[in-house]
Amino acid sequence: MKKLKVDWTLVALTGVAFALAGVAWWKGGQDLALEGLRQGFQTLVSVTPMLLAAFLTAGLTNVLISKELVERWLTTSAGWRGILLGCIGGALIPGGPYVYYPIAGSLLKSGAGLGVLVAFVTAKNLWSISRLPYEFALLGSHLTLVRYALTFIFPPLLGYLAETLFGNTIQRIRESVQ
Amino acid sequence: MIESTIILILIALGLMLIAWHRHDGSHRKGALVGWKTLKRTLPLLIVAFIIVGYVNALEPQTLVQNWIGPGTGLQGVLIGTAAGMLLPGGPYVVFPLIAILFQSGAGLGPTLAMITSWAALALLSVSFELPFLGWRFTVLRLALGISTPLLVGFLGSRLAG
Repeated sequence: MKKLKVDWTLVALTGVAFALAGVAWWKGGQDLALEGLRQGFQTLVSVTPMLLAAFLTAGLTNVLISKELVERWLTTSAGWRGILLGCIGGALIPGGPYVYYPIAGSLLKSGAGLGVLVAFVTAKNLWSISRLPYEFALLGSHLTLVRYALTFIFPPLLGYLAETLFGNTIQRIRESVQ
Repeated sequence: MIESTIILILIALGLMLIAWHRHDGSHRKGALVGWKTLKRTLPLLIVAFIIVGYVNALEPQTLVQNWIGPGTGLQGVLIGTAAGMLLPGGPYVVFPLIAILFQSGAGLGPTLAMITSWAALALLSVSFELPFLGWRFTVLRLALGISTPLLVGFLGSRLAG
């Protein structure tokens, strides 16, 4: 028998949706309860062309940038060069946390410095190219541009701070994982 | 929104061309990866947009403005940061929800704090960070990373409330 895997995000969100439907029913009866559904589907339909393009863009980036390439780059670099490469690698690496944390883990094992690792993870979080199409499609160009502009400095800055302030703890970090 | 759609479609076509130029089936592989992601996330997308619809229909403007509206200052930024850490799911779930809060009157500062905090500090992804990078790294990165949503939120509040 196939083991049923529960998607807890979906369960939680469905719970929220039902709760909101309940509130709508309580406030405005059947009319408002249906109105919410109608508006939701209307919004979804209106963003569908953009979503399709976003998913296609994300899929193509995923195939065009190989994880091996990013990994090879980052293992041997250090100093400012390492931090900048960490940032670029983080921005380019496709996939969710189940992809980039294992890669960061193998970088750690193969000798990458603390600054490189912090820059890599922070750039994945803040500069991610593969998330850009979704952000653009769903939040709009204005919010997306302001957000990227204001967070631009953080990946290299936090990488540099981590290296300067705590760079010497990398050996203990490495031991704590092995 | 039409311009954004056109720009995204052009980017997708450009990438398609680059992938096709490789002559190794990359364009088909890329489209397939996109299609599979879409199929896998479709239930989440639908539920997320149903939530968006209800938030819209319930008109929570007063509530949103009191908690995270422009002029809520530090309170709005802190609430935005905390909410961002707790938001579950990928970009296709989180972004529509943040967009509807912004449209319902959330300030720029709290909204940016929420996006940034979800991106950098989401508790769900920390559960992947711990086993691969260890608690020392995770604590250190979170301690440095908490500065990002707070500063960005503060700057956003200064810019536009």
